[in-house]
Amino acid sequence: MTLYQICQALQDSDFGTSIRESIWTFPAIETVHVLGLAVSVGILVMLDLRLVGAGFRQVPAADIMHKLKRWYLSGFIAMFLSGALLFWSEAEKCYRSPTFRIKLIFLALAGLNALFFEIKYVPTMRTWDTNGITPTGAKLVGWASLICWLGVIGFGRWTAYGMK
Amino acid sequence: MIHAFLPFFRWADHTAVAVWIRDSTWIFALLEVFHLFGLTLLLGTLVVVNLRLFGWGLAGHRLSAVASDALPFTIWGMIATIGSGALLFVSEAMKCYGSAPFFVKMGLLALALLFTFTFHRYLTKKDAPPSAITKFAACLCLTLWFGVGLAGRAIAFF
Repeated sequence: MTLYQICQALQDSDFGTSIRESIWTFPAIETVHVLGLAVSVGILVMLDLRLVGAGFRQVPAADIMHKLKRWYLSGFIAMFLSGALLFWSEAEKCYRSPTFRIKLIFLALAGLNALFFEIKYVPTMRTWDTNGITPTGAKLVGWASLICWLGVIGFGRWTAYGMK
Repeated sequence: MIHAFLPFFRWADHTAVAVWIRDSTWIFALLEVFHLFGLTLLLGTLVVVNLRLFGWGLAGHRLSAVASDALPFTIWGMIATIGSGALLFVSEAMKCYGSAPFFVKMGLLALALLFTFTFHRYLTKKDAPPSAITKFAACLCLTLWFGVGLAGRAIAFF
């Protein structure tokens, strides 16, 4: 079974069809997706802005990361689950959508970027962040994260627009 | 009462900007993207400040510090959403005129702005310790803003 056939089977499944053809379910899932995004990425952006030195000077990056963790993680879970359901209902359309592919690339890059930050800079974060000297690498991680998430949001929105 | 605004909606629908956006295939989509960028910044920062009002999240930091750090970005978020939203509106003003969720959204937006920049701002500025009042204010603020978001989504669907 090719990837295309899997996508087609998902979209044609009873479950996928019932979401796609529903009056309330599809809009409700899309709303959860957008609001989950605002909570999760909205908080993550604050961390990035602090890393690049654009703001949030009074709150250490470690506090944004750890004390708000349960909130942005909840947002991410809501966004991923709702995103999976949206994909299920329109998998074949997504497969053919170039903007959706670009979105996934940005999403993967955002994930790798976060992983790199976690391994390379988080263990020593308390030291460098409280001293007020953000390592150049961590600043670049902040910029990369901002760009990746703008890409995910931008191409995500464009995917929905292009498929209507 | 809504009828009184009809000439305004007609005028908006016929402006050169509205025609320009309607005639373009990608400007509308681009404006929607900006609308979403702004919304992310706006809601994300508001969630953090309101969690703090509740005594959650960044509880170890002074409320006024969290709020003053967040405020510029909340305002940038507002500028992006309202700016792009105004352009989205003129491009389909007559569609909005016939849309009940649009009027609900504008009503909630007015209340949300009013509340955020008056009583809500007053509480964060004076470092009010978590109490029934700050918790109520936090719930009200988030309900109003998420209500704006929900009603906004509803415009596209109904």
